[in-house]
Amino acid sequence: MTHQLRVDWPRCQARGLCYELLPEIVGLDEWGHPLVHGAVPNDLLAHARSAVRACPQVALRLVDAPPRRSAGG
Amino acid sequence: MTRPGPAPSPVPVSDQVEIHPGPALLVGTADGPTLTAHHRRYGPPPQVDLPTLEALVTAVGLRGRGGAAFPFATKLRAAAQAAGARRGPVVVVNLSEGEPASAKDSALAVCRPHLVLDGAVATARALGADEVHLVLPGDRPTARHQVRQAVAERRDQVRVRLHTAGRRFVSGQARAVVELMSGRPGLPVTAWVPEAVSGYQGRPTLLSNAETWAQVGRLLHVGQAEFQRHGTADEAGTTLLTVSRQGAVPQVHEVPFGARLADVLPAAARGSVVLVGGFHGVWATWDTLVDVRVSVPGMDALGLPLGAGIVHVLDPDGCPLGFTGAVVDYLAGQSAGRCGPCLNGLPALAAAVRAVVDGRDADDRIDRLARMLVGRGACAHPDGTVRLVRSVFAALPDEIAAHRQGRCSADRSVAHQRSGGFS
Repeated sequence: MTHQLRVDWPRCQARGLCYELLPEIVGLDEWGHPLVHGAVPNDLLAHARSAVRACPQVALRLVDAPPRRSAGG
Repeated sequence: MTRPGPAPSPVPVSDQVEIHPGPALLVGTADGPTLTAHHRRYGPPPQVDLPTLEALVTAVGLRGRGGAAFPFATKLRAAAQAAGARRGPVVVVNLSEGEPASAKDSALAVCRPHLVLDGAVATARALGADEVHLVLPGDRPTARHQVRQAVAERRDQVRVRLHTAGRRFVSGQARAVVELMSGRPGLPVTAWVPEAVSGYQGRPTLLSNAETWAQVGRLLHVGQAEFQRHGTADEAGTTLLTVSRQGAVPQVHEVPFGARLADVLPAAARGSVVLVGGFHGVWATWDTLVDVRVSVPGMDALGLPLGAGIVHVLDPDGCPLGFTGAVVDYLAGQSAGRCGPCLNGLPALAAAVRAVVDGRDADDRIDRLARMLVGRGACAHPDGTVRLVRSVFAALPDEIAAHRQGRCSADRSVAHQRSGGFS
């Protein structure tokens, strides 16, 4: 089962805790918003869960599937 | 000190539409939009059970007409399956037509509203939904008025609820629509599951574009064989295109799949460049388009995705770079303003495009911004804008080179305009 970190973009306020807790997977763009590099390997799962819990905006989730978005109908 | 307002769209929304008669959806437009005329041509409202409806839309391979071309049967099945486990499903007709240059949905609103409504209502009843929501355009009063009139004429077994979308470009995005229906700001939010599974009030929400519903309505009225009479063996039916030009009323054409795209383009396109797919689309020269057949997979394979069917023909005296700059300025101002990458990245992208218009080298900057924008937002607004900008480099390298040398294809005399000049 592959785990993926997904950002809830309208909530994210570039607080940066996810980057501090999981720099192996999360980088920051020039405005401080997370750049998620790839899936979460099993040995980093606990850290990923910490990052999800630590986000002050509740803007991070751990999901099982690759990212998707809706369109306009 | 007040900040300047958002940049206007280089192609303004038009309340008028020039509707060309077509072979299927747009046949008999001289009948008028009344329910009486509609019944005369099509008969009473169609009724269909869910298995039959699923079979029909699967057999003809119906795709959504809102821009993503998503298989309608897949969405229908998802909503049907979710409806078993959750509260009643709802059907949503998206007639918000948030892209300024588009006019096809407004065309249906003024001449075929009952086909749209028949498709939505029949599907709602097949699904066991007792609500159909219609989302009307905030900035097209004629279309809004016609839809209200059409709804008032009907006596359907389902409850029809009307909403009016905001005027923002992103207001028509599926989740933004669900937010609007829910009484919250009509802005995109993150979708953790498809709205067909859980959308409005957590209910299965079958949301599709107005033209998609018109296609469903027509399919139910005329049947599979007649529906498949137009188009190709692999791609049945027709699709609506908006041919847009600066300073002209937009034209809506109905085109069978497989027909030549060039056939609906004005003569002026021959000497100009064309933006295929609207503001989130791709530039193409006439040479590229001359043999293109209207087709979703076909045009995808050519790197010219049809999107919601908008084809903007640049004025032959216009500059595609300047026009792109104006579009990106506009799109930057149309962001919901909540997702950091889009809020920050689109204005930066607009500035970088302006630099290219002014003849400076911003290629690396644009490349970095593009990679930072794609896939990082609640909706595809940044992705579409990046697609547009990348297409300038891919399709019009001569134009960029000209600007580097202080020239421009719009030059006609010594006193020319570069940045800020567009058509």
